[in-house]
Amino acid sequence: MSQIAIKVENVSKKYNLLHKQKDQADSLIGSFGGSIKNMFSSKKTSTLNEEFWALQDINFEINKGDRVGIIGRNGAGKSTLLKILSRIVKPSTGSIEYYGRMASLLEVGTGFHGDLSGRENIYLNGSILGMSKHEIDAKFDEIVAFSEVEKFLDTPVKRYSSGMYVRLAFAVAAHLETEILIVDEVLAVGDAAFQKKCIGKMNEISNKEGKTILFVSHSMQSVQKICNTGIFLQKGKIIEQNTIDKIVNRYLQSGDTGQASFDIPLPNEPINGYITKVIIENKQGQILHEIPVGSDWRVRILINVTQPIQHFIVGLGIVSSFDTPIRTSWSLPENISVGNYEIIFDNDDVMLTSGLYKLVIGLSSHVRTFQYIDDLITIIISDAGDAANNNRIINTDSGLILNPMNVTLNKL
Amino acid sequence: MCIFITYIMKTVITSSDKSFLNLSELRRYSGLFKYLSLRDVSVRYKQTKIGFAWSIIRPLINILIFGCLSILVDKTQLPTQKFLMVSAGVIFWQLLSSAINEVSNSLTVNSNILTKVYLPKLILPLSSLLVCIIDFLIAFVIFILLFIFLKGLPTWQLIFLPIVILYGLVFCFSLGLLFATASVKFRDVKFILPFIIQILFYASPVFLSTEFILKLNMPEFAKIIYQLNPFVYMLNAFKYCIYGSFDNFNILYFGISIGITFLTLIVSLKYFLNFEKSFADYI
Repeated sequence: MSQIAIKVENVSKKYNLLHKQKDQADSLIGSFGGSIKNMFSSKKTSTLNEEFWALQDINFEINKGDRVGIIGRNGAGKSTLLKILSRIVKPSTGSIEYYGRMASLLEVGTGFHGDLSGRENIYLNGSILGMSKHEIDAKFDEIVAFSEVEKFLDTPVKRYSSGMYVRLAFAVAAHLETEILIVDEVLAVGDAAFQKKCIGKMNEISNKEGKTILFVSHSMQSVQKICNTGIFLQKGKIIEQNTIDKIVNRYLQSGDTGQASFDIPLPNEPINGYITKVIIENKQGQILHEIPVGSDWRVRILINVTQPIQHFIVGLGIVSSFDTPIRTSWSLPENISVGNYEIIFDNDDVMLTSGLYKLVIGLSSHVRTFQYIDDLITIIISDAGDAANNNRIINTDSGLILNPMNVTLNKL
Repeated sequence: MCIFITYIMKTVITSSDKSFLNLSELRRYSGLFKYLSLRDVSVRYKQTKIGFAWSIIRPLINILIFGCLSILVDKTQLPTQKFLMVSAGVIFWQLLSSAINEVSNSLTVNSNILTKVYLPKLILPLSSLLVCIIDFLIAFVIFILLFIFLKGLPTWQLIFLPIVILYGLVFCFSLGLLFATASVKFRDVKFILPFIIQILFYASPVFLSTEFILKLNMPEFAKIIYQLNPFVYMLNAFKYCIYGSFDNFNILYFGISIGITFLTLIVSLKYFLNFEKSFADYI
């Protein structure tokens, strides 16, 4: 029988948002007068109070030894929930019970002081996270070994490279001796090799030591690697609590992630033809909020033509998140008459690695571009969900383009 | 077959505002108290050329400025007598005012910790005191050396000194805690604090002795208010421990000022505990 580690009942968190109305004062004296008036008037006429519920009626139980991934888009309340669980802020309603010691890691290197040496910071940070001197002494060598900063232990951490700093900070936290560990997005820092090491360490902690872990991340990949169950939060409410694979798939299908169809605003000047809509979908015509890595996808562009256009060409470019153009494709030139058109760009040959990409679309007539869209459409290629089982891919982070070259081995 | 029974701590988080003084928790975090205190001490003079020497030079300069000024202003007493009297006040005042300052800033300065991790928050103001105490001890040694050189050995009343210092720290901690809690929400505190400390400097027998103030042509109520100021008896008690004579001792005012001190402690603790759980929301 599994024991309960954390029990959350009816937890809500309310914030009051203050909307300041536009100050009438334009001058320094005017604004000074305004602040004096505010000081002494009991009626707050210039501010509007609005309630905002960051969390509403949260109920769940977590069993001992569970590794729980908390998933949701920005502003869903994930961080607020973790802050309440770790007693940093108090809930507005409801109660939480938990058993055992709890440590939370909402940030790497909380309380690190730049002027102190690595050694001093290990003790300071460890004690801030709730470790006793004995525990830190006992784990000291392990922490140093994990962080790989042996040589610089007596150097002030402000002289560290950012990589060293993060490694040291994570190393301290990874050696916490608590029954419950709360981790928020801290793996987002550091390079890929370090992230792998951290995920490995987290796996080791949870499997070997039977710790209960609550983990928030935007990387579905690391959530799936670390967690066995998940909670899906949307606008401060729990949508579902289930096994992690089901939760991740639910999240990806929820449309809570990427956008799949883009309505393009009408151009300011009258032109002969313009794009009305851009849709990202798979071959079967199902729209895709996130494109599973390695799968085929296509872009369908709807165009409204108001005047006949000679020598009409549509161009589509894919640009990486580092603003590197990856590929551009053009339609063949055609003379078209008035009406509605759709044009489809199929991406079935090149597999892009996971991440964010921008689509750039241009319409031209006689090589003169008359509509150009470059900042409206972003697509997400995701390595989560079923994509991980795609046998066309060996590794999802070995380059922008995942298609392998043709490789032959000949004996000479 | 064997059964292991392990004691597992249960913690309950509720939405109530109430929090209480949890001494056993504070004791569990004594390690943190130690490292936070040491942090403040060891970063104090980091990246200065003469480093630790500053904690000798700073009080020395203060003693010289106010000591010499007092000789110039007041010619009625022996210069050495006046010099030592004022410098005793100056070094003790330095402890009291820096304690108010450090405690007042302790929460806002550590806001990055407050918003990222749970800890018994009273640790932060408490641990900010050590820096002040260490500075004071150094200043005190300098003062005693000067005293022996200029006048001779202090009186036997010196044994009361630890009590007076502790009493002073309790009052300054209480005042500081009040300011610290208020400053979580209102950063105005940061701007008003230097003025408050400056006013207290003149309203307490640091430079202007109680004898001098009470002889001034002031309305009676002003003199009463002056004597209710806990700093008056605190500083005079400090001087008493060194010279063996008490400036204008009045048992009634003495009792009241002690009462005010402990009332301040209770009020500030209450205010702090009532508000403690919301710190992260406001800071």
